[in-house]
Amino acid sequence: MEYGLIHAETQRPDQSREEPQRACGPSLSIRHYLIAQCGASVRPILAPADDRPSRSSPSVTTQRWHSNHNNSTPPSSSSVNPGEISHFNALAATWWDPHGSSRALHLMNPLRHDFIQTCRSSSPTSSFTVLTEDSGDEHAPPSPDGPTYSTTANVQKLRYLDIGCGGGIFAESAARLPTTESVLAIDPSPGVLAIARSHAKKDPSLSPKLTYLSSTIESLPTLKPEAVEKKFDVVSCFEVIEHVDHPALFLDHVAKFVKPGGWLVMSTIARTWTSWFTTNFMAEDVLGIVPKGTHDWNKYINEYELRGYFEETEEKRRFWGQPRAMGVVYVPGLGWKEVPGSEKVGNYFLGVQRLASEDA
Amino acid sequence: MEAVARRKAAAYVCLSCTRQFQRQIRRQYHNAAPRPDIYDVVCVGGGPAGLSLLTALRANPVTSHLRVALVEAQGLSKVKSWKLPPNKYSNRCSSLTPTSAFYLDQIGAWEHLDQTRVQPYHEMQVWDGVTDARIEFDWAPGSALVEGTTIAYMNENLNLTSGLLKRLEQLGGVSVFEGAKVENITFGEETENLDLRQWPVVHISGGKQLTARLLVGADGANSPVRAFAGIDAKGWDYNRHGVVATLEMEGEGWGEEHMKIAYQRFLPTGPVAMLPMPGKYSTLVWSTTPENASLLKSLSPKDFVAMVNAAFRLSPVDLAFMHTQGANQDDEYSWRLQHTSFNPRAIPQTVVGVQDGTVASFPLKMRHADTYIGERVALVGDAAHTIHPLAGQGLNQGQGDVQSLAKTIEHAVTHGQDIGSIMSLESYVSERYTANHVLLGVVDKLHKLYSAESGPLVPLRSLGLNAVNALGPLKSFFMKQAAGSGTKLF
Repeated sequence: MEYGLIHAETQRPDQSREEPQRACGPSLSIRHYLIAQCGASVRPILAPADDRPSRSSPSVTTQRWHSNHNNSTPPSSSSVNPGEISHFNALAATWWDPHGSSRALHLMNPLRHDFIQTCRSSSPTSSFTVLTEDSGDEHAPPSPDGPTYSTTANVQKLRYLDIGCGGGIFAESAARLPTTESVLAIDPSPGVLAIARSHAKKDPSLSPKLTYLSSTIESLPTLKPEAVEKKFDVVSCFEVIEHVDHPALFLDHVAKFVKPGGWLVMSTIARTWTSWFTTNFMAEDVLGIVPKGTHDWNKYINEYELRGYFEETEEKRRFWGQPRAMGVVYVPGLGWKEVPGSEKVGNYFLGVQRLASEDA
Repeated sequence: MEAVARRKAAAYVCLSCTRQFQRQIRRQYHNAAPRPDIYDVVCVGGGPAGLSLLTALRANPVTSHLRVALVEAQGLSKVKSWKLPPNKYSNRCSSLTPTSAFYLDQIGAWEHLDQTRVQPYHEMQVWDGVTDARIEFDWAPGSALVEGTTIAYMNENLNLTSGLLKRLEQLGGVSVFEGAKVENITFGEETENLDLRQWPVVHISGGKQLTARLLVGADGANSPVRAFAGIDAKGWDYNRHGVVATLEMEGEGWGEEHMKIAYQRFLPTGPVAMLPMPGKYSTLVWSTTPENASLLKSLSPKDFVAMVNAAFRLSPVDLAFMHTQGANQDDEYSWRLQHTSFNPRAIPQTVVGVQDGTVASFPLKMRHADTYIGERVALVGDAAHTIHPLAGQGLNQGQGDVQSLAKTIEHAVTHGQDIGSIMSLESYVSERYTANHVLLGVVDKLHKLYSAESGPLVPLRSLGLNAVNALGPLKSFFMKQAAGSGTKLF
């Protein structure tokens, strides 16, 4: 859903200069990826012979879940699929337009924070932070030259890694939170990042905390197990995983960046007839809320499949806590609403806490 | 040390951004324009709406870290130390609904009002001056003394602004620019690292410039902030003036001090209202033609008092005649009163005096801004809407705006949204616009309905008023709506 690449034409020359291509693979957004192949023959996700949306078998996450390509060999350097740039090109100009094609994403963004807050507060080992603890009724007012967070200074602040940050809707908002120490936001497309960077320039509070990097997760320098402090309290990949070719390999990479006690939070769409009807047929074809060609239903991942990845082996169960899910439904005119149980049907969040300290 | 300082600075959103930015500017643009003084909220206008908003933001721990500034053209120290003897009341009073009072209490301001000067009332008497059809908004007998039966509180506007200023002083943390005129509002500039081209910059007298993440227009009906945002306000003038005065009554009212009553009589020229203040005092709001208003202001105290008594008692025809006289309304009133029958208990007690220097008037109009928000702009109170005073809702609408906007800002802060972005501010408009619009429309129609002296509307409106009066539940519904405690309709 965080559909995003931009038009090559929209990049100003100086922006492409400031984003040298990293050696890591195609310059395509992780998240946006299906589109151009809409007409291509598509293999079903879990089993070649069966593309019905509901299956009872657990996911086989260590193998390729689906592919739009004849070549099903997992790429070694990137989960990014090169093929959607032409679709997302057209969307760039409206990424930050509140009434543009990304409106649904803007409306969803507050729920991401609510979900992260719910995840973090569910666990005693993740330091649950409140914005401030002072009553606001202090007789000692903040210093006249600026605001103070007398109490949050004592609370450990959070490091975020946002994978597939697109235009930065989530990354900016995470950086603005007073409880945030830093946000590293990555996306492999320099074009998308140009939009993100130029928008971040419009808010002076962001630059001290927010860093954009043109990179895939696979090409981020791997952190040594002992470099715990460099790891992240919150690793997010919102509306990303349904766009990657090898979700299991992708998650294996992502896991290395989650601090013990930290959370990996994701959002995606379940692969059901309902989600086909709502996100593909209604949202794209009929209502036009979402640009046509944004979603490839065949790449949607069901909640039990994603959950299965974190629970499939004893090793994984030692590494990850119990996944938490939250289903959300978009009501036109009202925005996103949490609907318990809807994670089995359509858009959902899934969060999982990293428990063990050794790397998987 | 530098690293420590930087680290510490990073804890404070705005401070850090300012400092970081300043550092960069210093490094790269030695000779560039003065570095911007960036605030999260710049509120133009230190009236009830603006002060309530700043108080709400400062009192809430979630928003208290925001860097906020107040720009007010008047000096504020006089307002803060405002004090009048118990036998004097300001002529600018407002009716505060229990909902507004509750909110003021929530943000810690209510206790800073001089409570001896706040008068709750528990009953309303509203009648048609042409047909005498009447509706009595009284609670069931005996329930008036129970908490929650207060229809509204009468209060001097200065008591409210003074209380809010005291509360703000207690909270601290507001950069106050008083006696400062807004000379211009422009947009910021773009530098290599910062793009402030959508950020409003308020230029105030003395040359200071305040850059605003969110610029709040609480600057009244002729809002410069609204003009800057290019938001149009539509509406019309009523060709009526509101005449106000502080009145001394013969007694504390028919219900004595614990059962105060507000009165309103619809005359063809507009409604005349008498609202109880503490003790033997009342405040007058008389909507009438500009000609009548200037006559009333020219009368001697004795004749003015006679006119006010006549307005609640005599027929519209008698009253119209008395408005043609240049003086001696007192004699005319005494004579005509003998030939008029009325139930004295159903109308206010007799006015015996008017406080010197309190007779004043202001033009009445209806205005509604096309929207309340723009990029990095929000309007509250009279800057967003101006309403006919007949329902006593003007100030309460402003309080409703403030409550909604403060909630909107809080939500944006807790979810990392930019509090100045349209996306963050949308919920404020959707929550307030329709509600205000309906109220503006209803009050406007009421004014027009009761301006008719004859024609098919007159018997119909009386029928309506009498019918509502006969239907207890409907009446109770209206009262709860008036008190702001009823089911939220919009």
